[in-house]
Amino acid sequence: MEYSNLQRQAASLKKSLFDQGYLDEQFCQIEYLQDEASPNFTEEVVSLFFENSTRLMTNIEQAMEKNPRDFSRWDVNMQQLKGSCSSIGASRMKNECTSFRNICGDENAEGCMRSFQNLKREHGVLRQKLESYFQVLRQAGPAVTAARPRGM
Amino acid sequence: MAAAAAPSVSPSPAPAPAPKVASPKAGDRKVVPVDAVEVEVELKLELEEKHVLAVDDSSVDRAVIAKILRSSKYRVTTVESATRALELLALGLLPDVNMIITDYWMPGMTGYELLKHVKESSELREIPVVIMSSENVPNRITRCLEEGAEDFLLKPVRPSDVSRLCSRIR
Repeated sequence: MEYSNLQRQAASLKKSLFDQGYLDEQFCQIEYLQDEASPNFTEEVVSLFFENSTRLMTNIEQAMEKNPRDFSRWDVNMQQLKGSCSSIGASRMKNECTSFRNICGDENAEGCMRSFQNLKREHGVLRQKLESYFQVLRQAGPAVTAARPRGM
Repeated sequence: MAAAAAPSVSPSPAPAPAPKVASPKAGDRKVVPVDAVEVEVELKLELEEKHVLAVDDSSVDRAVIAKILRSSKYRVTTVESATRALELLALGLLPDVNMIITDYWMPGMTGYELLKHVKESSELREIPVVIMSSENVPNRITRCLEEGAEDFLLKPVRPSDVSRLCSRIR
């Protein structure tokens, strides 16, 4: 089967997201669910994820400002965020959430601040990369959503 | 056919007999109501999709679990809290739920508390309840199973996890 340039580009973007650890196997599970009844399922779920995660991160940021050293509150919010990350296979973000929770457990406020900054950065990068990926997918046309990069 | 009554001007001494329903004649089809109802119910169960109630405070997880279930041809109702789930069940708005699948940890009422409420209710206790959790805590799993949970799934939930529940749905 011949792939168009756009299709190759989409496959390549996806492969790099996996190779660089931004995404894990759970993302594939989400993609497998996409079908004729829900042709944009993956993108819809990712969109829900970013709505969810943005809100949770705002909550955490506010909690860190207004409730200094309220580690259990920070942790509860982070647990929810980690759950969301896990559900779509956002692997690097998920790992940073785990890291935050460990640091939180040590009651290290400064460490938490640093970890949170990392998390914000990872969030931004993931969003940008997924947006690019979906944009190319859309341009490439419907056929490519079924394609899997070699070795996946 | 009722016997035609001639209009009478004066009241009769005895009440006129009620019009008679014609008794079945040879060749008439007999109505057998009980069997017909049973057959209808059986057909309904076969043709209707099984109905799953999915409870999770995360919109992402609700979307995923609903899609997994719908891809397996289940009818799905999603709610974002255990309280809401119980409300709908108590109001009789979900009379035909075949299974409840719920997140363990949710703000307000937890999935564990929902499980307990369901199992303590004479109307609801037969409904299998499956708990989902992102944390692998053996005590938690044991407690849920002891309380009557049908199964315990670790998140993130995948299609293969759900397909093994299919046989449990009554």
